[in-house]
Amino acid sequence: MRTKLLAAAVTVALGALASQAFAQAKPDVLVKQRQAAMTLQGKYLGPIGAMLKGARPYDADVVAVNATFLENLARMPWDGFDPSTKGEKSRAKPAVFTDTAKFKAASDLLEETTAKLGAAARAKNEAGVRATFGPVAKACGGCHDSYREK
Amino acid sequence: MRQSETPVKVWDAPVRLFHWLLVLLIAFQYLSAKMKGDWMTWHVYSGYTILALVFFRILWGFAGSSTARFSTFLAGPGAAIGFIKKLLTRAPAPYASHNPLGGWMVVLLLVVLLVQAGTGLFANDDIATEGPLAGLIAKELSDRLTAIHYWNFNLLLLLAGVHIAAVLYHWGIMKENLLGAMFTGVKHLPADAAAGGAGARFASPWLALVLLAVAALAVYLIVKRPF
Repeated sequence: MRTKLLAAAVTVALGALASQAFAQAKPDVLVKQRQAAMTLQGKYLGPIGAMLKGARPYDADVVAVNATFLENLARMPWDGFDPSTKGEKSRAKPAVFTDTAKFKAASDLLEETTAKLGAAARAKNEAGVRATFGPVAKACGGCHDSYREK
Repeated sequence: MRQSETPVKVWDAPVRLFHWLLVLLIAFQYLSAKMKGDWMTWHVYSGYTILALVFFRILWGFAGSSTARFSTFLAGPGAAIGFIKKLLTRAPAPYASHNPLGGWMVVLLLVVLLVQAGTGLFANDDIATEGPLAGLIAKELSDRLTAIHYWNFNLLLLLAGVHIAAVLYHWGIMKENLLGAMFTGVKHLPADAAAGGAGARFASPWLALVLLAVAALAVYLIVKRPF
């Protein structure tokens, strides 16, 4: 009983620490986090695009790895768009913090489209990759148009 | 067409084809950039085509038909001011080739198109599309050129708007149908201007094909850099 109580107490304490850790992430670090996530998205999306255009030979294994990384990276930028980062130097438009419902929809769209691309890539389905690639690129660009300074 | 006017051929087929292809391709560039995704591949190819067309029009401006030559339609500031006065007083001022303001608009549009296609070669969209020369320069410079590619298109739209407004002014106020002439190649001119237009010399369409091939080869060499 005592052990269980202790365990519960430790869990609560750790949970509090963890949420505090999130709360304490400094705004400049949050900006770096989201920029890093998007830089990596570009890194893993680019080669798939080059293969689909025929600029380099199609390699289903590389596509599977890249698309899976991309699918995970697609979830990572969003908690970096914390209101505390409003004053930080970045290309995020103010609409990110005022137009939150639409921004959320745009970020959800990237998660949905990259999930489809990832599934097709892991199934080694080249036609599926071809069909699901465009919507991913469109999701990237649509959000950039609305929420990123030129 | 008024009684005293004579139909005179002023625009050759290469000029007219160049003009309308450019209109279609610029519209496609706008739409494909909006559609994004898979359309960006075609945006790039269409951009190559536009660059080749602009190269061709510059060559044709030196070696083509007399009405298409820069030396025919580029006028000094005095002529331009005189022409503006005629426009404002609605005094008829027909020209067989471009009028003094229209001539400068041709040059301005060609320069803006060169900037647009040139920056496009080095641009990137931070997604999966980049110009064929973007890999040669630093990412930061490519980003700056991409910003110019974006803003310069707005400038192009503005100039196209002025161009269309001018054509409408000529149509509604000056009673000159410039739009029809860009389709048929024929302007209906009063006797004195028609006499000038009758002296027009038209270059061979074969020369146009050769110059177009030269322009296309230049774009190919820029894009593929085989050497």
